[in-house]
Amino acid sequence: MKTDFLKSLISTSGLSGFEAPVTELIQKKWDPLTDELSLSPLGSLHGIKRGSGKSHSLMIATHQDAIGLIISQIDGEFLHISNLGGIDIRVLPGQAVNVHADSGVLPGIICQPPAHLLPEDAATGAVALKHLLVDVGLSARQVARKIKIGDTISFATEPIEMSGGLLAGHSLDNRASVAALTLCLEELQSRQHVWDVQAIATAQEEVGAQGARTSAFALRPDLAIVVDVTFAKGPGASGWETFKLDSGPTIGWGATNHPFLHEEFKKLAEKLEMPFSVEILPSYSGTDGDDIQITAEGIPTIVISIPIRYMHTPVEVIATKDIQRTARLLTEFIVMLEDDFLEKIVWED
Amino acid sequence: MKPLIKKLTETFSPSGYENAIREVIMDEIKDFADEIKIDALGNLIARKGSGGKKIMLAAHMDEIGIMVNHVDKNGFARFASLGGVFPQTLVGSRVRFMNGTPGVIGAHYLKRPIKLIWNKDMFIDIGATSPKNSPVQIGDVAAFDRPFVDLGDRIIGKSMDDRIGVAVLIETLRKLKDTPHEVYFVFTTQEEVGVRGAITSAYGVNPDIGIAIDVTGADDIPEMDTKTIFLGKGPTFKFKDAGSIGDPRLIKHFIKVAEKDKIPYQREVANMGGTDARAIQLTHAGVPVMTLSIPCRYVHSPSEMVDYKDVQNTVKLLVKLLEKNIEI
Repeated sequence: MKTDFLKSLISTSGLSGFEAPVTELIQKKWDPLTDELSLSPLGSLHGIKRGSGKSHSLMIATHQDAIGLIISQIDGEFLHISNLGGIDIRVLPGQAVNVHADSGVLPGIICQPPAHLLPEDAATGAVALKHLLVDVGLSARQVARKIKIGDTISFATEPIEMSGGLLAGHSLDNRASVAALTLCLEELQSRQHVWDVQAIATAQEEVGAQGARTSAFALRPDLAIVVDVTFAKGPGASGWETFKLDSGPTIGWGATNHPFLHEEFKKLAEKLEMPFSVEILPSYSGTDGDDIQITAEGIPTIVISIPIRYMHTPVEVIATKDIQRTARLLTEFIVMLEDDFLEKIVWED
Repeated sequence: MKPLIKKLTETFSPSGYENAIREVIMDEIKDFADEIKIDALGNLIARKGSGGKKIMLAAHMDEIGIMVNHVDKNGFARFASLGGVFPQTLVGSRVRFMNGTPGVIGAHYLKRPIKLIWNKDMFIDIGATSPKNSPVQIGDVAAFDRPFVDLGDRIIGKSMDDRIGVAVLIETLRKLKDTPHEVYFVFTTQEEVGVRGAITSAYGVNPDIGIAIDVTGADDIPEMDTKTIFLGKGPTFKFKDAGSIGDPRLIKHFIKVAEKDKIPYQREVANMGGTDARAIQLTHAGVPVMTLSIPCRYVHSPSEMVDYKDVQNTVKLLVKLLEKNIEI
């Protein structure tokens, strides 16, 4: 798979609540692929691709925001930080970061005081976020002039193309799904489809799915697919809740996932001879789907996930083949939808 | 504004029992609003101006308190919290029930000096000797009983959280002569038990912009790890708390207005807490929001302290903001 767009997606800042830069990038890409593009009041991007029918719409939601940091206090030349979303603090010390100040981007590093200078309870184990600092190399005076509380900080790790079709980088959660949805929109250019497709790059998933909840309320789709990432098998992660890299997308099963949609996706993947796994999500999925499902009168929803390793670290790893497979699954589902699809959804005794 | 703040903070209205405070506020605003209504959850909604952008200002009128869940055979009332009450602030506190009954909170604090356990270590002594002669019953609610104190710049009271926000809204409504917007001054209920009043009032108003006015914990006191929020340095513009992320475009606009009119302000990034802003943000198709906070020491204790200059500056800022167009 061509990874240029995905690499630019993960190299562009767009932290939860501060999505504007990455939104602009997606907007440019989606503009020729959709019939209408608009922004929600919270910054979700809505791309509508009209189908040949008149009455039905399918939402495909991929969150565009990424976890990151925000400056909470300035102490001379050092910056104290708070989290935007659930960051894995164990991997923070030593990371290269970008500080997004009004005057421009300042490169910096995350540092931790030496163990003997930390409070006794923090001298061993992972150092809590409140003890970590960011150093941008400027003097206290320059820092005071250039940097302010509330400025955001994103990871600066460059994408790494690894052997075996793997890509490593930060923000693959969930820009990989944005890339899959983009691929799907490209494939749809030469395909016929009856239903309207609402391609949504949602805002603020990592801090509570604020974007998905409000976009679903505004657009009221008949059905919704949420594409997000899930846990791949890796060191220390081998249980039933993990999935091999390069083994295809997962199809959600559990309260968030409508059983009929689950069956339809399974049948479709089998028909396409595409590898897939069933992901057991008993009560919640931990994705935009949990909020979309209970919007307004309720929206039948399914969560499709792409396995990644080392979630919420700056070196998330993905098999690019799985992105292509996910895109294909979405495309084939869309073209399969006929005007009478909703009538087939019945609750059996 | 001090007599108003005294009146507001000396009124007893814990979450879910906002009748008394609503009547006080109604009396203060009725001559200044174009339209006033009360919704199903008891929110008091006053509109000024019409036709322009719909701007919702929310300050919650409820306060934390307690509710009696058992009166024992010796007449001591046992109780649960309404909202986030810290047990360590209670011992020796006086409370007042809605029917006027005063009581003192006692505890086995000599037996268990560090950790006080709800319903085990603490009780309210209302001077009764049996359930029969107890003036309070199961379900009765009370709030802390503390008089307003004026120290000059610094003022102390119970329920500064968020009666000080209520005072700011009342004063802003009175001072706002003309606005291009359709401004909704919403005095919300049940904030302390999960921003419930704001959820329904925001749905009803369906604003274009939402601003919650609340208190924020000042850490300019001894023995704190951080020093970020100070009394007397102006209201804070909140970038984030546990409930919501402030809309960066809206915060930028606030900064522009404050700097133009030389009104002091502080930038705030909080890890905990949440305000009515979250409820407004999530209504309908989504609403850009932010929280404008008044720094407050000892939040959720019976003696909350704010700086009067911060209160005046918050009013000044809101009036300036609402007099002109807001483009974000």
